[in-house]
Amino acid sequence: MAGLKISKWLEHRLGFIQPLKQAAEHPTPSNNASWWYVFGSAATVLLMLQVVTGILLALVYSPSANEAWTSLNFLNHNVALGWYLRALHGWGSDFMIAIVLLHLVQVFLFGSFKFPRELTWMVGVVLLLLTLGMAFTGQVMRFDQDAYWGLGIGASIASRVPFVGADLVHLMLGGPIIGGATLSRFFTLHVFVIPGLLLAGVAVHVLMVLKHGVSDWPMPGRLVRRSTYEREYHELTLRTGLPFVPDAAWKDAVFAAAIIFAVMACAFFLGPFGPSGQPDPTIIQTAPHPDFAFLWIYAVLAFLPPSLETPVLLVVPVLAITGMLLLPLLAGEGERHWARRPVAVLSVSVIAVTLGIFTRLGTYTPWSPVMDAWSGDAVPVKYMHNRSPLEREGAMVLQDKQCRDCHSLNGEGGMRGPKLDAVASQMTEDQIVRQVLQGGGNMPAYGNALNPAETKALVSFLMTLRGHDLQPAMNASRELLRESRMEQTAGSADSAAAAPEKAGQQR
Amino acid sequence: MNLRWLSLSVAALAVGLCCGGCRDAPGRPGAAVTRPDKVTDFRLLYRQNCAACHGVRGDYGDAISLNNPVYLAIAGTVNIQKITANGVPGTLMPAFAKSQGGMLTDQQVAILAQGVESAWGRSNALGGQTAPPYAGSTAGDPSAGQKAYGTFCASCHGVEGQGVVNAKLHTGSIVDPSYLALISDQGLRSLILAGQPQEGMPDWRSDLQGTGARSMTDQEVTDIVAWLASHRVAAPGQFYSHP
Repeated sequence: MAGLKISKWLEHRLGFIQPLKQAAEHPTPSNNASWWYVFGSAATVLLMLQVVTGILLALVYSPSANEAWTSLNFLNHNVALGWYLRALHGWGSDFMIAIVLLHLVQVFLFGSFKFPRELTWMVGVVLLLLTLGMAFTGQVMRFDQDAYWGLGIGASIASRVPFVGADLVHLMLGGPIIGGATLSRFFTLHVFVIPGLLLAGVAVHVLMVLKHGVSDWPMPGRLVRRSTYEREYHELTLRTGLPFVPDAAWKDAVFAAAIIFAVMACAFFLGPFGPSGQPDPTIIQTAPHPDFAFLWIYAVLAFLPPSLETPVLLVVPVLAITGMLLLPLLAGEGERHWARRPVAVLSVSVIAVTLGIFTRLGTYTPWSPVMDAWSGDAVPVKYMHNRSPLEREGAMVLQDKQCRDCHSLNGEGGMRGPKLDAVASQMTEDQIVRQVLQGGGNMPAYGNALNPAETKALVSFLMTLRGHDLQPAMNASRELLRESRMEQTAGSADSAAAAPEKAGQQR
Repeated sequence: MNLRWLSLSVAALAVGLCCGGCRDAPGRPGAAVTRPDKVTDFRLLYRQNCAACHGVRGDYGDAISLNNPVYLAIAGTVNIQKITANGVPGTLMPAFAKSQGGMLTDQQVAILAQGVESAWGRSNALGGQTAPPYAGSTAGDPSAGQKAYGTFCASCHGVEGQGVVNAKLHTGSIVDPSYLALISDQGLRSLILAGQPQEGMPDWRSDLQGTGARSMTDQEVTDIVAWLASHRVAAPGQFYSHP
């Protein structure tokens, strides 16, 4: 009873409890009380998780270039459950990006961005970009080697913008290079600027959802028309409406709980991300890579020919973002159901497969030499069995000249070049010699780096690599040449044998 | 039914977590990443810098076995440390010390040299005998070397050093000019002195049997190296020297 009294007292002064209750209980068409409509609310719940864990992290984290790395390790090792907090924030970020993307794909495929929800979609696109901005600045907060070099790459991308590139880099890094001011700037972005925009954006987004209602389940043939849609939606709500809370919202609650539980499980079992080595540019024994959400960009940049880098970096994002923003204006009416929108389904499929492939490539970077394979990955023992002294020296040449950094043996070593386990069954000795000395096909020429004895040793070792005892590759023309020489020799022997007879006859 | 199972499994997991505690959580991070120049763990240093040529366990690599107590006893930690730091010019052993263009600090080189000794060395590796010194001090005589070679080496390496291939043996040529161009005299001497136990090659004590059984002398080792070295040619590594 006392609680009711207090609530009435508060409501009399505040005046927004009733409106909130009404908003929560607003009727929504029964056909959208579906498991497909739970992603938006889950993303909001994840945002709350990020805010809470972020505030707790900020209590210990020191945003200074000198101390950030140490304070992260302090969190990992010296603060009770500090590592778990970091893990929750890190995994929460990955889950948030994934859920926001799922939400975007669902809204796109259901055609929910069409009239009258165009602006809701546009705000959503901005929210996606802000989420990615949080992920990038968050990666910088984890001030380790990945963060340091990631910043370097971000800055070099910014420097390619025509005319204002240098100024942009200066603005981004707080100077011409990564320094003390850089981390402060990114801390400000990560903790004040972007979260502020994000929370405000989410508020606008949710208000618009409330104003226009959650979109009804799309039906093939039921077209969206500016003149009739709102009336039809209203009628549908009147006819089949359910109170959003609890009849539709319980699914949101269950899904959000499951997602939070999944974040907790990932954090518990897989732990926090990094920090990797100290952010010190003098440490060159490092292979930095971006966080999961940006792996696809990393792979795309690795595969782009140099001449296309700047145009792709500067033009494609602008086109993509503009396209997404303009989408509801260009296709604001018409079919909503995916079965009647093949182009939409195809676009989503192609983009998903492309991003998936590039992300997968980004996880194992086949384009990148493994810089410590030459001294760390031994020649497999099975390839050393019964080898002559020269072949052993050849194996040493293979390691010493760092061939292993690009070529693998038994799955160990780089993947930039082809694996060498069966090279002698694929190339003849002559071909291997030529390839080693002159390079080609993306391989540098090693003619200047190898003396003749090293070349011979290396090639004689490579000639022993024939997979599962396959036949060595053969040069058919050499065989022909040998046969014709033998015939010639036999022929000249015959003629030499015949010559004395002739001489005898003449006599 | 499903909900009951779900809640039961969630409860079981929660109980498991409470009992297991977070001290043993699988996600709990290990120690902070060490700067590469502050790594002092022998096993890690060996795996990153030496394993590729000397073998993961110090044997069956392409370079000389370090998992060979006889070699470690004859060479000694000082020589091994010097070779690790400076490399062997003219061969494929690179220098690892920062002062020589490598990536390791002097302390790390010392850890490697001592670590090899403590990992694979044995106190009585030479069986109470005195081995010829690590480095030869006199000039060798190739013709005397050929004779000594015939006594100690020819049964496995062939009369002329060309190698033997049969059911038991598979030794390639040790007088191949390209091979000899890539290995130093000291490298040959070390191999003769310490053998390659994993490959069945004996050390300087030889595997001669019967009445003539004896070890090699310092001079014999020096002479054999001189005879092998006499097979070096001015322009090794020719691919098409014969039709």
